[in-house]
Amino acid sequence: MPKKSIPLLWFSALSIVIGLAVWELCATQFSDFILPSPLSVFAQFLDPNFALRLAKAVSGSLIQLGIGFGLALAVAVPLGTLLGRSDTLYRMFNPTINAIYAIPPVALIPFLIIWFGLFLESRVALVFLMCFFDILVVIIAGSRDVRTSWIDVGRSFGGSRYYCLRHIVFPALTPFLFAALRVGSARAINGMITAELFFAAVNLGQLLKRSSQAFDASAALAVVMTVCLMGLLAQTIIMLLERRLLHWHIRRS
Amino acid sequence: MKKLRNALLPLLGFAIVIAIWEIVGSRLGNSLFAPASSVLVQYIDMLREGTMLNELFTSLRQMLLGFVIACLVGMPMGIAMGRSKITDTMLRPWVSIFVVTSTAALVPILIMILGTGLTLRATVVFLAAVWYIVLTTYNGAKGVSPELLAVGHSFSANRHQIFWKIILPALYPYLITGARIGLIHAIRAMVMAEMFVIVGYGALINQAGMEINTSSLLALLLTLAIISLIANAILSQWGKNLAPWYEQQRQTL
Repeated sequence: MPKKSIPLLWFSALSIVIGLAVWELCATQFSDFILPSPLSVFAQFLDPNFALRLAKAVSGSLIQLGIGFGLALAVAVPLGTLLGRSDTLYRMFNPTINAIYAIPPVALIPFLIIWFGLFLESRVALVFLMCFFDILVVIIAGSRDVRTSWIDVGRSFGGSRYYCLRHIVFPALTPFLFAALRVGSARAINGMITAELFFAAVNLGQLLKRSSQAFDASAALAVVMTVCLMGLLAQTIIMLLERRLLHWHIRRS
Repeated sequence: MKKLRNALLPLLGFAIVIAIWEIVGSRLGNSLFAPASSVLVQYIDMLREGTMLNELFTSLRQMLLGFVIACLVGMPMGIAMGRSKITDTMLRPWVSIFVVTSTAALVPILIMILGTGLTLRATVVFLAAVWYIVLTTYNGAKGVSPELLAVGHSFSANRHQIFWKIILPALYPYLITGARIGLIHAIRAMVMAEMFVIVGYGALINQAGMEINTSSLLALLLTLAIISLIANAILSQWGKNLAPWYEQQRQTL
């Protein structure tokens, strides 16, 4: 449908332009300390001094994001598959997992300070906790969703348990794996900036805190925008990967 | 026999987790990770004393204010986006930007604009919950079966009737799911905002952390888990009453 999607894309672009115009109009009503105009926020990105600090902060923040998110994936995916594939284990532990999932991860921060201190270890731990359960819940739901008839076919053609897991369960799980990546990456980025604000302020969190304490709202908004762009970028990369790898799977959207 | 087994397994799971908690806790001691037994003693003390529940209900009232506004804004917005292509293309870019924006990153900026009072907390909760409500409602509204609408048209229902008698009831399950997801995020945001400005229930959590009193910290977390499980159960029961056909449909699939 390329014919139809071009005007729709224009509408989206138009909507962004209208939004920015409304923002600009509102900004003229308020002082720059409270609501800076979009132009002054964009100007921040062009200021080489600020841009350099921002780039440094982003690269620092990416370290805890990568470690925490990676660890969460490495633990949650196998554990989720196990819990989803075994009915007994699922019934045993799903209520407990739901109860723990119901606790806001931010409330665990005092614990993390007691155990890991205020620096990198605790930031990694918070990123891990923020996305671990979200990934786990999606993977459990996904691996329970694999149709028994598919596995029955594999078994009746003499496939071993391992063979069925490798060639039937894992491929059927990949769409859920991508769903888990999408949810998990958004949560992990959320955890990254939360950690930098609640523990010792470093990287992006420090930049954000300092700018807002100095009432430099345009710098603070520029930091928020950077975090937001990181989120959008992660979602786009995952979407492109999904399209490439999962062309056989039609996503309901 | 099978029913009994299914009822006993979750209890067994809880028992295993609590046993591990007790063993690990008594090894690590109260300053690192209080064992289940001492949390229970502490919990009864805190229930008697009353500060915990008082603060909890004040916080929940403020959270509900933000959450209800989020529902009132998010649900119509989601329906409008799902049913009208133009609204969809105009609003979707903004929704996908805001849904990945971490609310924690917005808090320092919101403090500059709104101060640290009730408005701040309600706004943070609103911003955390509304996008999830919009997206869930949107997915539901987009998926309303055209056959149902065609039946309505052939019985010459007008637009008004089609909306109130067909589209809205078809959306009930999605509205409830949206509210459930939104509520989880609202509770998370409530705790986050309160820990940031150190008031209400969040302040209690902070204080327990400062005093390195893990038994009262765990007791506070336990209450949060119980509250969100109860809220979730109420909403899903409500959903079942509102749309009894939905669960049956899902079971036959």
